[in-house]
Amino acid sequence: MPESPLAARAAVGDLVGAQPAAWDLAGELPIALLRKLGAQGLLCAEVPQSFGGLGATGQDNGEFTAYVGSLDSSLRSIMTSQGIAAAAVRRFGDREQRKRYLAELTSGKLAAVGFSEPGAGSELAGMGTRLTADGEEFILTGRKMWVTGAGYADYLMIVALHEDAAAAVMVPTDSAGLRIEKIPDPLGCRAAGHCDVYFDDVRLPASAVLGGGGQSLPLLFTTALSYGRMSIAWGCVGILRACLQTAAAHAKKRAQAGKVLADHQLVQRHLAELLVAERSATAVCEQASRAWDANSAEMVVSAVLAKHFAAGSAARAAGSAVQVLASAGAQDGHVVARAFRDAKCMELIEGTNEICQLVLAQHALSSVN
Amino acid sequence: MTVDQDTGTQALDAPAIEQALLAFLAEQIKTEVGPEEDLFGSGLVSSMFAMQLVVHLEETFDIAIIGPELKLENFRTVSAMTALVLRLREQQGSESDA
Ligand SMILES: Cc1cc2nc3c(=O)[nH]c(=O)nc-3n(C[C@H](O)[C@H](O)[C@H](O)COP(=O)(O)OP(=O)(O)OC[C@H]3O[C@@H](n4cnc5c(N)ncnc54)[C@H](O)[C@@H]3O)c2cc1C
Repeated sequence: MPESPLAARAAVGDLVGAQPAAWDLAGELPIALLRKLGAQGLLCAEVPQSFGGLGATGQDNGEFTAYVGSLDSSLRSIMTSQGIAAAAVRRFGDREQRKRYLAELTSGKLAAVGFSEPGAGSELAGMGTRLTADGEEFILTGRKMWVTGAGYADYLMIVALHEDAAAAVMVPTDSAGLRIEKIPDPLGCRAAGHCDVYFDDVRLPASAVLGGGGQSLPLLFTTALSYGRMSIAWGCVGILRACLQTAAAHAKKRAQAGKVLADHQLVQRHLAELLVAERSATAVCEQASRAWDANSAEMVVSAVLAKHFAAGSAARAAGSAVQVLASAGAQDGHVVARAFRDAKCMELIEGTNEICQLVLAQHALSSVN
Repeated sequence: MTVDQDTGTQALDAPAIEQALLAFLAEQIKTEVGPEEDLFGSGLVSSMFAMQLVVHLEETFDIAIIGPELKLENFRTVSAMTALVLRLREQQGSESDA
């Protein structure tokens, strides 16, 4: 068993190889690769060894996530979803559920996570999907939208209303009454298998309801989203690294009118700002991961700050990288073209820019009397 | 065994925990709350704060709050949280002794 997911970087790099361009164009990841990485515990590397995982620290998992993010944001977003599901099982599952689901999530089974609904995007409290007890069993009714990875998943971890509170349930994707519809042509993370899902009286055993349900909705989604925000933030550091590396290499090589691009100060400025963005986003993520690893209450706000900063930086930097490459990067599949679209989506999910700003402003206001 | 332990945890009887929680809440949400006040129903607790509260309880009182213990009922009021902390300290203290 590797000591840390970081030890697996080279092997993952070999497995991924030059395929991300083709994945982007086809809008599909090879599921065998997802199962293989899953079986090595790499899709949710923080699961403790006692549950079959790698037991990585947040810091190491973060660096590993950045590495995968530098290769392919669709694959990285599958990791984000699997990691959210594992984090929620660890936090909300009872003893049996932790044992069972964490073993599955580290041995090749795949999970996606559904919060958003047409009536509950930025405002998750507008949720309508409901879990109702029926004798010994439960019934799930409603719908979720834009569920990343649902096209590949064995389980959907669905957050639903339950009694006067909420619950997270593990819904097997072969359940009767469940319909999964692929979203055609997403702007970014095109191969991540986004789907809309519909629950028409889906019957579930009590063992599928994490911790028996009855949890606070804000607590459920903040727990899940905090893991997701850390993962996205580090994934955006990966996007920044890919853009910096690609833009610098291109600027050194491409010559116009007898000069390489890198000889132009206006091009150098792009490279300088790419470097600043990469370094500062890394520092912000490291700070948040330290809070996460110390289980400090500060981690909740730090995760929002890291996600907001890294996503915004990646979106701007990807624009600069496309600028430096110009026509050489202006085709779908190309690393900077993917970065441009993928990074934009990172400004939309797990709290849009605006929702992150509201949370951060609230934090700033709460520190003064 | 609990009797022996009591000497070490003297400061952490119910009134002390309740006091610490009330002070923490007053500082964090800038509102004085009563021990029986419904924190969630009253909208005093934001989505961010719900999780900070759980992590704060774990950090401050050296407990792990997982699985069925995370039911909203256990967090609704300061006195419910006090009971939860006392119960988990008792359970988890004896588990790690075993
Ligand atoms: C690529 C991708 C992957 C996704 N994956 C998942 C997934 O795996 N699981 C899942 O559950 N969901 C997923 N989503 C959905 C995502 O979480 C939502 O799109 C997101 O929460 C925003 O909701 P919305 O799209 O309804 O936008 P809206 O809430 O309609 O917001 C539209 C605009 O209005 C702004 N706005 C809204 N409310 C306010 C306010 N109070 N103050 C200021 N501005 C406001 C927003 O910031 C935004 O700019 C995914 C989405 C995308 C694009």
